[in-house]
Amino acid sequence: MAEQFLEPVVENVYTLNLGPQHPSTHGVLRVVLDLDGEFIVRTDPVIGYGHRGHEKMGENRLYKQFMPNTSRMDYLSGMLYNHGYVLAVEKLAGIEVPERAKYIRVICSELNRISSHLLWFGTYVMDLGGFTPFLYAFDDREQILDILDRVSGSRLTYSYCRFGGVCQDLDSVFIDMTRAFLKRLRSRWSDYENLVTKNIIFIHRTRDVGVISLEQARQFGVTGPNLRACGVAFDMRRAEPYEVYDRLDFEIPVGTKGDALDRYYVRMIEMEQSCRIIEQALDQLPGGAFLNPKVPDRLRPPKGDLYFGFESARGQTGYYIVSDGSTMPYRLHVRVPSFGNLHVLVEAFQGTLLADAISTMGSVDLVIPEIDR
Amino acid sequence: MGKVNDVLQRFRGMPEGGTIVKDDAYKAGIAFSMQVPAERLREVAAVLNEMECYLESMAALDFQDTFEIVYHFNCFEPRSRFALRVLCGHDEAVPTVSDIFKTAMWQEREVHEFFGIRFADNPDLRPLLLPEDTDEHPLRKTFGKVNAYRRREEIYG
Amino acid sequence: MGNEVGSEWIRLIVGAVIALAFASLNALFLVWLERKVAGHIQLRPGPKEVGPFGLLQTIADALKLVGKELITPSAADKKLFVIAPVLIFMPVLVGFLVLPFAPELIIRDMNLGVLLIFAFSTFSVLAILAGGWSSNNKYALLGAIRSVAQNVAYEIPLLLTVMSVVLMVNSLRFSEIVQAQGHIWFIFLQPVAGLIYLISATAETNRAPFDIPEAESELVAGFHTEYSGMRFGLFFLAEYTNMFIVSAVATSLFFGGWHGPFGFDMKIPGIVWFMLKTYFLIFVIMWVRWTFPRIRFDQLMNFSWKFMIPVSLANLLVTAVVLKFI
Repeated sequence: MAEQFLEPVVENVYTLNLGPQHPSTHGVLRVVLDLDGEFIVRTDPVIGYGHRGHEKMGENRLYKQFMPNTSRMDYLSGMLYNHGYVLAVEKLAGIEVPERAKYIRVICSELNRISSHLLWFGTYVMDLGGFTPFLYAFDDREQILDILDRVSGSRLTYSYCRFGGVCQDLDSVFIDMTRAFLKRLRSRWSDYENLVTKNIIFIHRTRDVGVISLEQARQFGVTGPNLRACGVAFDMRRAEPYEVYDRLDFEIPVGTKGDALDRYYVRMIEMEQSCRIIEQALDQLPGGAFLNPKVPDRLRPPKGDLYFGFESARGQTGYYIVSDGSTMPYRLHVRVPSFGNLHVLVEAFQGTLLADAISTMGSVDLVIPEIDR
Repeated sequence: MGKVNDVLQRFRGMPEGGTIVKDDAYKAGIAFSMQVPAERLREVAAVLNEMECYLESMAALDFQDTFEIVYHFNCFEPRSRFALRVLCGHDEAVPTVSDIFKTAMWQEREVHEFFGIRFADNPDLRPLLLPEDTDEHPLRKTFGKVNAYRRREEIYG
Repeated sequence: MGNEVGSEWIRLIVGAVIALAFASLNALFLVWLERKVAGHIQLRPGPKEVGPFGLLQTIADALKLVGKELITPSAADKKLFVIAPVLIFMPVLVGFLVLPFAPELIIRDMNLGVLLIFAFSTFSVLAILAGGWSSNNKYALLGAIRSVAQNVAYEIPLLLTVMSVVLMVNSLRFSEIVQAQGHIWFIFLQPVAGLIYLISATAETNRAPFDIPEAESELVAGFHTEYSGMRFGLFFLAEYTNMFIVSAVATSLFFGGWHGPFGFDMKIPGIVWFMLKTYFLIFVIMWVRWTFPRIRFDQLMNFSWKFMIPVSLANLLVTAVVLKFI
C-alpha cells in the first residue's frame, strides 16, 4: 500500500498538521506542512474527508434526480451549480428554454455569486484576525438568502432550476427586495473600503503575499478570480457566453501581480459587476412562461458526450456528461475550480511564513467539499 | 486563430494524426477532438503546452472493452477547447503528463484511485480523495450499483 | 516598632485580599464589557439574556469554566503544565499593590513602584513559555516562541518611554509621578512616549492587532491550546487583569492619575477620575481589537526594532537634553 506521508525533504523539519479541524481551513482540509522555523519548506494537502461519491451517484440517478447533488458540491454557490447542470443537460438533450426563465436564472445566479463573495470577504478578513467585517458581510449576505429563500424555498442548497426553466416564477416582491438589496449593498461599499480595503494592516498582510504567477496558474488549471488576478480577463461568461450574458454589459476586473491583494480587489469589483448584471437583467426581464412544460420527467438525451463549462463563484466549473441514450448518464464528471486553486498552493506556500500561508489559503477562496465531491 | 491552426497543422503532420474532429458550433462544448494513441499522448500534450493551453479536466470512462481517458484542454485566448481521447486496455498503463501539466499530478491521482488506471512514471500515486488504505476502484462499472456496463461502440458508434 | 511592622503586614494582607477580589470582579466586568463593545461594533446587541443587560452572563461562563474537567495531556510536562496558569496570574496581582488609585488609596506606596510593576509583568512571558512548552503541542509551542520574541521586542520601547517620564519627575514612586501632573498631564508633554507606551502595552497584553501568540486563525489558540476549565480561565483572567494594569499604569504615568484635566477636579473624588480614565483606555484597547486585522509576526518585530525602539530612544535623549538645560 502506498505510503501516507512523503519522505522529509530536509533534516530537522517541524511537521505541522494544519487541519482537518482548524479554524481557517474552512471545511475539512488537512494540510501537512513541513516548517523550518515558521517558514514552509513543503506543503502536502490531504483532501477527501468530505468525499461523498457524487460522480458515482450521478451514474445511478435520473438526470433530474441528480439536481440536488449539484448544489451540495459547492454549498456556497449552489444556485450556480444547479444552473450549470441544467444548462449542460439542456444542451445535451436539446431542450428549449423560455426567455424569461433565462433571465430569472441569471438574476438568481448573480445573487448567489454575490453571497458567495460576501462570505469569502468576511471569512478572509477573519482569517487575517479582523472579526468585525465578518459579521457585517454576514448581515448583508442574510438579505440574499432571504431573497433566494423566497423563490426557491431554501437558503443554501436551492435546486431551483429545472430542465427548461425554473420551478417557480418571480413575483413583484422579489423584484422589490432585490432592488432594495442592491441599494443597500452599494451603500455598504464605503464601509468595507474604510474598514478593510484602506486598512494599512490589511494591505501589508496581503500585498505581495501568495503570489501566483500566470504560468503557475496555467500549469495548475487555476481559474476564476484567482486567474483574473494574474492579469488574464478570462471569464466563462464572456469566453463562452451562455444564457443571456452576451446581452448584458459588465466588466471583467483583472489584477496585475496575482497576489492576495489583487485577488481581493478582483472579487470586490466582481460583486459590483454582479450588481450591474442583476440590475440590467431586472430591467430587461421579459414576460411569458418561466418553464418549458414539454420536458419529460425521464429524459433520454441522445448518445454522445458533452462538456459544458460555466463560471461559478470560484472559477470555471464544468460538467462532462456521457449519455448512452438511457435515462441515466453513463458517466458524469465534474470539473471543479477549487481543485486547481488548492493544488497551486503547493507552490505558492513554498518559503512563506505560516501566517502568510493562512492569508494565501484564505485569498484563493477554497470550498473543500467541492474538491472532494 | 493562427496559433490554433499551427497546432492543428502539427497534429496532422504526426503519424496516425489527421483524425481531428472539428466542431465550430461547439455542439458538444468542444472545438477539436482527436483520438490519440497512448504512446503519442506526451508528444501531443507537449505541443498543447507550447500553445499555452491549460488542462481543464481529466475524466476516465470504464467500458467493457477498454478504458477511455478524456483530457480537456482549453486556451485563455483564443477560444478553443481540445479533447484528447486516449484508449487503454484494462491492464495497460498510460504515460503520465504530470511533468508537462502540473495539475495532472492530482488529476492522475484521482483517476488512478477511482479507476485503477496506472500512470507510468507518475512519482506520486497515493490516493487523493479516498482513504489511503482503500483498494477498491469505485468508479469502475464493476463496483457497487451499476446501471449499465457497455462497450465503447455502443455510445460512440 | 514591632507594632508598626505588624500594621504594615495587616495592611498588606488586607490589600492583597481586596486586590484579588477586585481583580476577579474587574475581569468579570471586563469580559462583559468586551462582549458588549464587540457586539455594538458589530451591529448586534451582545449578551442580554442572563441578568439585567446580560451582566450575569460572565458569571454563568465562569461557573461553566469552573465546572469543566481539567485535562492534562498525557504527553505534557505535568508539573510545568499545572504551574503555568498560576504563574501567569500571580505576578499580575502584584501590580495592584503599588497602583495609585487615589491620594490615600495606595496599598504600598513604594519608592520603586514603577520598577516593581514592570519587573513583575515580565513574568507573564515566562508563564506563557512554560505553558506553551509543557503542553507538548505544536501550535502551543509556536505560540510560545512567538510570545517570547514579541515580548522581548516590546518591553524595550515600553521601558524607554517610562524612563522619559521618570526622568521628568526624578522618582520611581507612583504617587510623586501623579502629583507632578496636577496641572498638566504628561501626555501633553510627552505625546510620543504616551503613544508608544499605548502601542507597546497592547502588544504586551497580547491583544489584537498584536495577538500573535494566540492567533486564532493560524495557531488555533496559541499557547493555551491544550488548557481547559479553570486553568484556561486563569489565562483568561490574567489577560483581562493585565489589561487593567497597563491601562492603570498609563493613567498614572500619562493621564494624570487621580487628577482631573488641567487641574480642574470638579469636586469629583480622585478614585472616580482614575477609574474613568482607566476604563476609557481599556475601551480604546477593545475598540482597536474589534476594528483591526492581525499584524504578521515579522512585521511586528520590524515595527518594534526598526521604528519604536529608535523613536523612543530619541525621545528619551531629547527629554534628557531638555531637562538638563532648563
